[in-house]
Amino acid sequence: MKRTEPTTNAVPLLETRNLKKYFKVREGMLHAVDDVNISIPVKKTLGVVGESGCGKSTLGRTILRLLDATEGRILFKGEDILKYKHRKMQEMRKKMQIIFQDPYSSINPRMSVAEIIAEFMLVHRTHRGKMATFQRAAELMDTVGLARRYAGVYPHELDGGRRQRIGIARALSLDPEFIVCDEPVSALDVSIQAQILNLLMDIQEDRGLTYMFITHDLSVVKHISDEIVVMYLGQCVEHASSDELFANPMHPYTKALLSAIPEPDISMRNKEIKIIKGEITSPINPRPGCRFAARCEYAMDICREKTPPLLHQPVSSGKETERHLVACHLFRKGQGKDTL
Amino acid sequence: MTDHLISIQNLSVEYRSDIETVYAVNNITFSLKKGETFGLVGETGAGKTTTALTIMRLLPEQTGRITGGSIDFDGRSLLDLPESEMRSIRGEQISMIFQDPMTSLNPVMSVEEQIAEAMELHNRDNKTPEDIRKRVDEVLLMVGIPPSRKHDYPHQFSGGMKQRVVIAMALACEPQLLIADEPTTALDVTIQAQVISMIRKLRDRLGTAMIMITHDLGIVAQTCDNVAVMYAGEIIEMGTAEDIYLSSDHHPYTTGLFGSIPNLRSKTSRLTPIAGLMPDPTHLPEGCNFSPRCPLKMEICDRQPPCIYRNGTHLISCHLFEGRENWRKEEA
Repeated sequence: MKRTEPTTNAVPLLETRNLKKYFKVREGMLHAVDDVNISIPVKKTLGVVGESGCGKSTLGRTILRLLDATEGRILFKGEDILKYKHRKMQEMRKKMQIIFQDPYSSINPRMSVAEIIAEFMLVHRTHRGKMATFQRAAELMDTVGLARRYAGVYPHELDGGRRQRIGIARALSLDPEFIVCDEPVSALDVSIQAQILNLLMDIQEDRGLTYMFITHDLSVVKHISDEIVVMYLGQCVEHASSDELFANPMHPYTKALLSAIPEPDISMRNKEIKIIKGEITSPINPRPGCRFAARCEYAMDICREKTPPLLHQPVSSGKETERHLVACHLFRKGQGKDTL
Repeated sequence: MTDHLISIQNLSVEYRSDIETVYAVNNITFSLKKGETFGLVGETGAGKTTTALTIMRLLPEQTGRITGGSIDFDGRSLLDLPESEMRSIRGEQISMIFQDPMTSLNPVMSVEEQIAEAMELHNRDNKTPEDIRKRVDEVLLMVGIPPSRKHDYPHQFSGGMKQRVVIAMALACEPQLLIADEPTTALDVTIQAQVISMIRKLRDRLGTAMIMITHDLGIVAQTCDNVAVMYAGEIIEMGTAEDIYLSSDHHPYTTGLFGSIPNLRSKTSRLTPIAGLMPDPTHLPEGCNFSPRCPLKMEICDRQPPCIYRNGTHLISCHLFEGRENWRKEEA
């Protein structure tokens, strides 16, 4: 397979190859993640956007091996972590962490803030003795902007923004290299959301972290990501750098998604909104063909027969370091390169 | 002012329990004309939903208390009406769409029964069951659901479809005022776009006045004629959509709110959020409620709550506007 690597980093920190995750349900197989190829360069942020049910969270969890992949490979610095046995994977988990959407249901309500942050360090025995561990927990509280006086309080006493800060401190406690952020700001108010986004970006700069940022909010994803993957029904339909995707969206679904965002600008009030009809269809036993075809205004006969491959397209900015991949029969010609 | 459909004057609402008192809504005043869409914006705990529930007279009986003010709806004082009369207004003349369509439908009633229920209860012109059934088909078509699905139950519908059913219920009696409390927060963007454009079309066709409660400044920009920004139970800024989105004069909180949303058009490396958190509604600050978080705080802000300053249709409650050109102090 001929491969085109981004020129900046030879080996991406994380890569998936033909990754699949199917769930067995009564009616057959649910294709939650279906043949996804992504790669995230070191110290970059990959945004994954899509509507509920498109498989974006399942993708994040499968990459962390919180769910067992059905097929495919997950490469961390070039090594296939799906081949790792229990002991080795446990070591690996220190390097890969996750921040969840709902900071309340993802932390133990019967533990104090300091205990929650220290828990992983105690499990992995990263520090000698409890004193050192809790000292480190206190430092992490400083990092995420939690006053140390909250060390002894319980999560229910705190608001959503502070709880999310606990989640972030805990994810940082093992000095990871890669963090999956699964809708970390969706449950928060706008003013708090901005605080947490800034915090995540600061930490990334300070520690050289690599993020996979899962969200349904396109303005957030544009703000934080270097590259963006748009998912639809378990498949990646478009993959481009953040500026490129917003400047030159190609896939009809991406276009509809972008035009659906209500903008805080009254001059856009009479903007023609591309409304796509219908809703996401069932991912159970999908038929071959493009999964968006049923809702797509440009659907042709071929769309209902053949699944479109993800192909390289010319980048509108003309920069060689950037790339733009689209899975749509409208853009078959492209540059004819292999996927990713 | 008589041409107002609903006019709320100096309304204050508290939630009282044995332990503490939550000052949820503090002295707010606004009004709507017929056919107008009014946006009520603010973050969690700003008092938006409490305001809506007060208009509907649906505050929790044990704890919720209206401590002052009045609500005039179509020439009647809502707060003085006996419950029996209120019941005839609720659902018929004022109806409400709730945030979560999953929990605002009855799971053991078919969609047809649920929509028909409101019409049977408010059956003034003695519609026959036949008429009502016809009307159910009509409203379902209006919100874009094929009437063939009317015998289905809520669990057979997706989130966006459920929200359409809720909207169909709210519009069944052709109310004069529709209160939409975060009608699209639980929905995906593409579905949100469908629902918003549908609400807009229906509003234009039926001439319904609407109070749109949301935290999303984008939705307000796309739908509302007039906007009020709420913070800690108060309206801190109010005006036409042009005043809020185009004027350069703002309450510092409104400025902070706009600084907190990532911009789609330009690339900024960092957002400029508002530091700190909303004040504890059981112990509001003595002066301006926003003063503990305000980057432009002055000495007077801690001591004295600000007056309201007016410039045309634009109202701002902030000490910064004392003596500023074009801004006049409103008499209380």
